[in-house]
Amino acid sequence: MLAHLARKLLLAIPLLAGVMTLLFFLVELAPGDACDAFVNPDMDPDAIAQIRASLGCDAPVLVRYARQMGNMARLEFGTSLAQQRPVVEVIAAHLPNTVVLSLLTIVIAQGLGIVVGILQSVHQRRFVDGALSVLTLFFFSMPGFWLALVLQLVFSLAWPILPSSGMTDPVVHDYMPPLAQAWDRLLHLVLPATALGLAAAAGDARYMRSSMLEVLQADFVRTARAKGLSERTVLLRHAFRNAMLPLITLLGLNLPFLFSGAVLVEYVFAWPGMGRVIVGAIQSQDVPLVMGCFFVFTLLVVAGNLLADLLYAVVDPRVRYR
Amino acid sequence: MSLPLLILASLWACADVGGTVADAQGRRDTLVIGVPSDAKNMLYVVSSSASDSAIIEATTSSLFDSDFSCALRYTPEMATEWSFSEDGTRIDMTLRDDLTWEDGTRLTARDVAATYALVADPKVGSPRLDMTEHMRPDARPHVIDDTHLRWEFTHAYDRTTMLAHTSLTPVPAHRLRDADPGSLRSHPLNALAPLSSGPWRVATWEKNARLVLAPNDAWTGPVEDRPRLRRVIFKVLPEYATRLVELENGAIDLMEGVLVADADKLATEHPEISLHRRGWRSMDYVAWNSLDPADVRATAGTRAKGQVPDPTRVKPHPIFADREVRRALAGALDVERMIADLLTSRVTGEVYGRPAIGTITPALCGVHADDVAPVPYAPDAARARLAELGWRDTDGDGILDKAGQPMRFTLLLNSGNARREKAAVLVQAQLRRVGVDVQLDKVESNAFFERLRRRDYEAALSGWSAGLFVDPGSIWGEGSAFNFTSYRNPRVTALIAQGLAEPDPERARATWQELQRVIHEDQPYAFLYWMDEIVAVHDRFQDTTIDVLSPYRRLNRWSVPADRVKYRY
Repeated sequence: MLAHLARKLLLAIPLLAGVMTLLFFLVELAPGDACDAFVNPDMDPDAIAQIRASLGCDAPVLVRYARQMGNMARLEFGTSLAQQRPVVEVIAAHLPNTVVLSLLTIVIAQGLGIVVGILQSVHQRRFVDGALSVLTLFFFSMPGFWLALVLQLVFSLAWPILPSSGMTDPVVHDYMPPLAQAWDRLLHLVLPATALGLAAAAGDARYMRSSMLEVLQADFVRTARAKGLSERTVLLRHAFRNAMLPLITLLGLNLPFLFSGAVLVEYVFAWPGMGRVIVGAIQSQDVPLVMGCFFVFTLLVVAGNLLADLLYAVVDPRVRYR
Repeated sequence: MSLPLLILASLWACADVGGTVADAQGRRDTLVIGVPSDAKNMLYVVSSSASDSAIIEATTSSLFDSDFSCALRYTPEMATEWSFSEDGTRIDMTLRDDLTWEDGTRLTARDVAATYALVADPKVGSPRLDMTEHMRPDARPHVIDDTHLRWEFTHAYDRTTMLAHTSLTPVPAHRLRDADPGSLRSHPLNALAPLSSGPWRVATWEKNARLVLAPNDAWTGPVEDRPRLRRVIFKVLPEYATRLVELENGAIDLMEGVLVADADKLATEHPEISLHRRGWRSMDYVAWNSLDPADVRATAGTRAKGQVPDPTRVKPHPIFADREVRRALAGALDVERMIADLLTSRVTGEVYGRPAIGTITPALCGVHADDVAPVPYAPDAARARLAELGWRDTDGDGILDKAGQPMRFTLLLNSGNARREKAAVLVQAQLRRVGVDVQLDKVESNAFFERLRRRDYEAALSGWSAGLFVDPGSIWGEGSAFNFTSYRNPRVTALIAQGLAEPDPERARATWQELQRVIHEDQPYAFLYWMDEIVAVHDRFQDTTIDVLSPYRRLNRWSVPADRVKYRY
């Protein structure tokens, strides 16, 4: 197992280098650069040159590429050109907010997806299955941005029971006792996590349904029923555990998607997470910050795959890594 | 009350936290302002955005306060009085002696001089470097003593503009003495916690989420200018729709840039929200590039990076280099129709736009050339004029042509601006009616500006925010980076130089009005419309200042009557 993990981690190095190279040149291809924000084009050319030099924008592109990759290899992410703060500091300030949002999203997505998938498989080709299929397809096809706006209009304006943005109440949170503060935080999580979670849950439910239907046809399920076990035991103890395997793969793959997919939802709900940092960094062509963010995302892809591998071994005793 | 909020209220009540209407100083309530982006810089010398300026204005004493009524007028703040020398090249200033920084250090003329030195230092990269260009090269203002300063200019020019060039907001010299000028943007005073010298201080700054202003109890300024609100909170809400939802559900109290259609909804459904107009703050126009973009690209290698093309060395644009063609095209655009479609209330019929005749805002009513009429909409006359100029539909395809070349061009516009996108479609349809084929090319904002700067476009739908003192050199000056159409007219160049050097306001006004007439004749742009900006604010706030200078100014004077307080804590 350890050797397998080590091999996977080693393979992540060229993957990271490739992603970083691609990103660097993609950002470079866009017109202008981060230093444009600091100079007025009508300024004296010498002053412009001095400002660009002080911000490190004057070097040729290959030199900047080599410098950037060298820094990344030493895990030095440098300073954000637009925010003038260390990249690590910017990421450290925003990553936890995205992690919290993503964890709750995973709980909603997997919890709801599993329940809906099982219900559909048990009631195959009946009204419940059809109705849930329509619902899951609806949420699966809806753009997250649109769903977020609709949730906001319904639950913050038409029927105002939930806060529409931010992580806490900006006015009274500071004056609340700890329990009320925790509840306030939870309330602010509901809409963004639901907007993200519903689409993911819809996908998970489709996988769960087909996986359950396949497993329910298997010999061991027939054997379990023949033994006289209750339908509940057959479903939850025998079929469910085996049907979970595709969802574990999905969990691993969904992890980075949840972080990057949160970009637009974070924007709508003003959630101060990585999504908004990335949008801002790309808009201002802030190469160090863009690369720092995507470094973290690429690591998450690798971590997601590893997590899926590990969970496979836990759930399926036939899987052994050498 | 909904269940979740009921639980929240119960949890709060259990903790026995009693809310009070006012604090010990009698300050009441909180103003929550929804803003699209967070502030980035707290030091005046490197600040660049409106978000930065709003915070700096509230937390720092400036040399001047200002008013606007047809013209910008400076009034005393830190500077109590000032006088110009006989020849107009020197300003002597007296400063208040009772102001201090939050840490107790006195705010003096030395802070102003240090601020000026940082603005003038290219290593700082201050966006305000151009403020120093008319000062003497040894330009650091002369500190006579802690409360007296002398400014010396190379020549006399418009006095308001001269004052504008001295109107610095001081930074704390004693805390920046050892700071590296090249790293000021990452200095803690800029990036983390500013040092206040004004009526407010930054109490909390959660980046990209909220910034909280609380009264600066150490402030030594006039008693009547002490804050009357307990807090002002800037809540960062990047999405317009979210800001609108929060304005409607009461989560925020103030929002700027409300669209006309949404203003209608607010007016009919939310009587507690009052709507304010900020007159003629911005305009849209269609820029006609006088240079051939293909030749601009072909000759790019002959210029230094960032240098604008020399119009004498690049081929002229086959359509737009001809002034008469530009004038005919302007006559084919129905600006009144655009205003009716884009800037008129469907409910009240109120109009939030007016046709533009130039780039000087009508808000500068003493300078704006009111006698110049917008180009009248006359498509038949436009088509006839184009025919006289040789543009006829010779091949029957519905598109005018001349010497085998169709009158076809690409109109560049930036994405993310719904109004301009609609305006571009109207321009396309209206020009099609006179036989001009317009293709729309929508690009991301950075790419859009870069192409304007490089002159790599044919026509562009863009806009300007109004300058509040007249300085047309940046838009129309030969060689200016912002002269996007590479417009050249020696008469205009002479008028700009004459107007900028004219200290007498009456004579300057005549020059600027003549300038507007000449430019309007030449039509380097098809000037479309000036717009009112709509600011929505909850009506419990009194003594508000919402004007052409800012959507929220003098926050220290804003107040709420005791019986209308919303937040008690």
